[in-house]
Parts: sequence; C-alpha cells; structure tokens
Amino acid sequence: MTFTSWQFGIFVAIVFGAYYLPPFRTLQTQLLVIASLFFYGYGQPELLPLLAVAVFGTYLFLILALRNRQIWLPIGIAFNLALLAFFKYKFLFVVPTSPSFVGVAPIDFLLKLPLPIGISFFVFHNISLLVDLTRQKSSPPDLTSVFLYIIFFPQLVSGPITRAEMFMPQIKPKYFGEIPFVEASKWILTGFFFKLYVANNLNEMTSYMDFPLYETLQTQDRWLLVFLYSYQIYADFFGYSAIAIGLALLFGYRLPVNFNLPYASISFSEFWTRWHISLSSWLRTYLYVPLGGNRHGPFRTYLNLMIVMGLGGLWHGAGLSYLMWGLLHGFLLVIERPFISRLQSIDSTVFRAARITFVFVCVTMLWIFFKLPNFDHAIGYLSGMFTSSTNPNPPKLFYNLALLYSLPVMIQHLASRSLFERTLRGAEPYLYGLMVALMYLEAGPETSFIYFQF
Amino acid sequence: MQRMSVVQWFAKCGFSAVTLLLACGFATAWFGNGLQLPSTTTRDGALITLNRYAKEPIPDVVLVGSSLTFRLKEEYFATPRLRNLALAGGSPVTGLEIVANQPRLPRIVLVEANVLSRPTDTALVERYSRSVDAEPVFFRPIRTAVAAYESWVHAPLSHTQVSFALSRLLAQPPSDFDNRIYADRALQQFNAEDPTLAARMNIKRIEQLIPAVEQRGARVLLFELPYSDQLEDSRSAKITREIVHTKFPDPERWLHIDSTRRELRWADGVHLDERSAVIATQSIERALTSLLGPR
Repeated sequence: MTFTSWQFGIFVAIVFGAYYLPPFRTLQTQLLVIASLFFYGYGQPELLPLLAVAVFGTYLFLILALRNRQIWLPIGIAFNLALLAFFKYKFLFVVPTSPSFVGVAPIDFLLKLPLPIGISFFVFHNISLLVDLTRQKSSPPDLTSVFLYIIFFPQLVSGPITRAEMFMPQIKPKYFGEIPFVEASKWILTGFFFKLYVANNLNEMTSYMDFPLYETLQTQDRWLLVFLYSYQIYADFFGYSAIAIGLALLFGYRLPVNFNLPYASISFSEFWTRWHISLSSWLRTYLYVPLGGNRHGPFRTYLNLMIVMGLGGLWHGAGLSYLMWGLLHGFLLVIERPFISRLQSIDSTVFRAARITFVFVCVTMLWIFFKLPNFDHAIGYLSGMFTSSTNPNPPKLFYNLALLYSLPVMIQHLASRSLFERTLRGAEPYLYGLMVALMYLEAGPETSFIYFQF
Repeated sequence: MQRMSVVQWFAKCGFSAVTLLLACGFATAWFGNGLQLPSTTTRDGALITLNRYAKEPIPDVVLVGSSLTFRLKEEYFATPRLRNLALAGGSPVTGLEIVANQPRLPRIVLVEANVLSRPTDTALVERYSRSVDAEPVFFRPIRTAVAAYESWVHAPLSHTQVSFALSRLLAQPPSDFDNRIYADRALQQFNAEDPTLAARMNIKRIEQLIPAVEQRGARVLLFELPYSDQLEDSRSAKITREIVHTKFPDPERWLHIDSTRRELRWADGVHLDERSAVIATQSIERALTSLLGPR
C-alpha cells in the first residue's frame, strides 16, 4: 500500500476517525500498532513474522541490556545488523530463481524471501532504541510502545529515521483539539505535489537513463537527464518524508525534518546536514562518533569519514555502485575538510553562488551510481557524457516540459525564505490550493517511491 | 479564533483548487481534448497518433505494426488519406484491435508481420475502444500549454510540403554510416529471443480479427518490411516468418514490397534509416495503387 494509492487514503481516514473517538482514547497506541501491522502486511503478509521477530528480539535484548549493557547491547546490535545483512546481501551469494539452495526447507524458505520493505529503516530504529534507552538507564518501556516506535506506519517504510529518545516521550494520549491541521496539511500537500507533479513526471524522462536505453541518447541529453534525476530523487524522497511528517502530525507525533534545501549547500559537509538528515545524524551518532569522530587527529578523522560514508553507501544496497557512491562522497568530504574554514572566511555572494553550483554539480553527477546500480552501466553512462553521440535516431526530449516539471524544486531552493514567509503569506492557502489542483491534473504515471527499494 | 482561521485557510485553499479545476473543466468542454500532447515517451507518441485517428475522419488506408513501421512517417506517403498507427515498442495486434473496435473502418488495413513477439497493449485497446463520452473531464494545463507551443513551432507537415526534401534525399547515395556496433548488438538480441509462443498467440488473434474486419467491408493485408541480410537470418526473424507464412500461405493475403535491397540501410541495425524508409514507403504506395484505384 503506497502513500499515493486510494487504498491508503481510505486506510488513513478509517484509522484517523477511530483514533480520536473517546472510547479509543486509552487504546490509541494499540490502535496505531494494529494499523501499522495491517499497513505493512497489506503488501507482504509473509514478512509480518519477520517484523515480529525483529521487534520481539530487540525488546528482549533491550530488557537484558538494561540489566547488563556491556554484554547485551553489542549482542542486540549484532542481532539487528545480522537481520539486515542477511536480507540485504543474501542475493550476492544465492541465485533467487534457483529451486533449492541448501535442501533444508526452513532455510530455503528464508533464503527465498524477498527483501522486506523498509528493513533498512526499522533496523536502524531498533539500534537507536537499544543505544538510547540503555544509555539513559531508564526503566524498560512497555512492549506496545516499542512496537509503535519501530513500526509507526508513516515512517515504517522509508523513515524519517527517528531516534528513540525523541519519539518515546511523545507516546501519550492525544486529543483532537491539539492537531495542527494547517501545518499537517501543508506537509502532506507539499509531499504529494512533489511526488505526483515533479517526481512522477520527471521519471518518464529519466527512464531513458536505464540501460540500454541511455545508449540512444544524445550527449547533451545525458547531461540534462542527470540533472533531471537529481531533481527527481529529491522530489521523490522529500515528498515521501513530507507526507510522513504530515501524517504523523495528524496522529499527534512530530517526526524529524529530513530535508532542508540540500541543493543550496555551500559545502559537502553542509550537504550532509541538509540531505536525508535523519540518516546522516543517525550515522554520525551511532557510527562516526563511536569510531572516534574527529577526536584522534586528521588521519583518523579522514578514515572515519570514509568508513561511515562507505557503509552509508552499502546501507542502500549490496552493489559496487552504492559503495562507490558512498566512498566518493566520503572522498569529497575528506578533500574539503582542510580548506573549509578558509573557504568560509571569503565573504562574497558570487563566490558563494559558485560554491553552491560546484557542490550541486558534484552531488548530481554521483547520483548516476544511484540510478544505475550496475557499476558497468553507471560507468558506461558517465563516459558517454564526455563523448559525442553517434546514434542516428536519438529520442526527443521536450526541454520545456523538463523545465516546467523541475520548476518547483528550483523555486523552493532559489526563492528566498522571506518571499514565502512575508510577501506571499496572505496568498499561501491559495498557492496550496493550486498545488492540489495541479497534482491532480498533471500527475505523472504512477511509480513507487525510489527509497522503497532500500 | 484559532479554529476560525483554520477554517478560513482550508476555505481559501479549496477555493483556488476548485477554481483551477473548473477552469480546466470548462476549457476542456469548450475546446475538447484535441490538442496533441507532446510525447515524452514512445507511448505518448502512440497516444498522439491514436487520438488523431479517433477524432478525424476515417482514412482509406491504415498501417499497424511495430517500431519498424513507425518509421514510415505519414508525410512520406503521397496517398492523402492514410494513417500510420504503428506503435514503437508495441505489437501490430494492438493497432489491429483498436481499428477493429472502431464503429467505422478504413478500406484497407495493412498489418506488419515482422515483430510478433510482443503482447497486446490491453490498456491502450480498452482506452480507444470506449465511446467518446469517456474522454477525460479535465485537460492537463501544463502539457496542453506545451502542446500548443509545440504545435505552433512544429506544425505537422504534409506530403506536398516535404516532397521536395524527399526528392533531394532520394537523389543522394545511400548512407555510409558505420553501424557495425548496433548491427552486432541487434543480431545478438534477435538470436537470443525465441518468439514462438508470443508469435503463435498473436497470429491466432490476427486470424480471428481478419474475418471480423473483412465482414464489415475492409480488406486486411499483411506485409513484411525488409531487414538487413544479417537479421533476415537471425533466429527470431526466421521463427516469426515461418509461423506467419504457415498460417497465411495465400499470396493474395500479402502486400508485396519490392524495394531494391542495395539501396536500403539500417542505421541502428534494425530500423530503416530515413532515406530507406522513404523508399519502402514508395514501394508500399506502388502496391497500393492497384488496390485503391485511380485517385
């Protein structure tokens, strides 16, 4: 059940209607847990037991780790990482179409299971739960609250990755009168607009980036499509995160903001404080800092950055392209680091614009490894950007359509905040209304959210 | 007070949404869906052609086929009332089904028999088999604006407008473009593919549709566009040819295209280049003359 399906709309309406009824006031958490299980099981019911194993297992290790953190915390983390590694990387070693793998029915059954949707996200929630609560030495939470934290449906499939210490205190009775309707609606409408109008329409064009279609492209169109994909992946993931934040607000929960105009970053380190913020702050808190962060000299800092970004790349998928994407981002962070304070000291608008452009172009080029997880295809695409095309019948792309569908991302990044917050404040509801109409009239063909695959 | 402002916010939001929807609704009712949407994909390209077919007067001749026939542009033909409904990446059966489901039929339907390995696009068939009442209520404002601009800048050409350019093109020697990379890849693909099952299913459906169409007064002819020598001997081409000729052995069922092979080129290994497409078009027209009678 995806956020853009009518089934999801009915599901949310029913759960929302029941959630604030007085008889359910004391059962709100349970209701959300049941709704989240239904949401998850709707598409992959065979994977519900796995979700249960992950939650029950994490809860058990949490109870044990609260008694003896030193022993049980690493085991609890290892349990979750093993789950992630098994499902994410098993197809590196087994052929999915093979009729039998080891000849033992239960193991064959496990090996044949598809990648559970959202596993990368709920495993990170589990680890955050173990680390945060055992660090606080708080009393163990009840099982329902743990369930809700891990499987809360707006964030279950693709985040934002919420830290336990931020989410758990929010679990308490919610009242209809406290719902920030306008704020929630703004998030939800913006999210749907970016997904339906921008991402789905651009996806029609960027499908030409797939192998072997990209071989038919003219050189300038290869360049254009990389930039369109950059806008698409932002609109797609920002859209999903915005819908998740808005939905959570309707149920009385505040999820962390996941994007803050990433393509306006003036450095690579700033980019990672603006793009997929919940993942980068998770990696910083639970990986970079425990590895030593920047506390052991420059060499160790650079090594830590490369390790964190490399693992961050592999978190997205078992492929050389994802590893390369992560490592190249790590490399950019490393080479930028010694010069960052000197660059910051130059106070010039032109220089600032040049830095934003440079960061945007580099980040955009690296999305090729994301779009084409097959490393050879990614390299093939990349090299074709620097050689002239020989195909006599290249596909025609409409540049005016590309511009019109990318425009919301450009306006969001380029227009100053004061334009929206002061000058256009009175027109705000009308603008959201136009977005509603446009997302209906101009919705591109249905495609799943890019981050669902992770 | 706070609640009131929330209500106001939603009222204003709803007002502008409804206003834009109504504006598009009225514009659609007034102007219709006639503006051709620009294609961002081959499917969109097919929609443009099919929209025209559904809205304009029924032509004398219709071509259905795959991307091979798609290259034979309508303006290459001197025959005035001819439509090419070939679908790039699609099956000839899709086009034939759509033609057969229309209330009125053309005099001649030409069915390309080269590529029969693709399934029928049932969504497309269903869409163009509905009555006119099922047209969308609203047009897409952005695409319509772009369509208007594109129609203004690149209006479709008639045969008269391009005939001089076509004559010049034909006067040139065949292209010497080195297509070895593309040809080898195409051959590899054609040899890897076994179209038996799909081709049998498609041929069975064509066999059912032909009498249904011919009972209503149209004539259906099959035709094969020439492949390069390499591809003619490929596994996929041979299997398809054998299946289709076994089912339709009667030469009367075929439109014979007699173009000089040495003049033809396949720039990407599979599809005729522009000059060759014009040559193939002229061959089809020569064969059609006897069927259509003097114009």
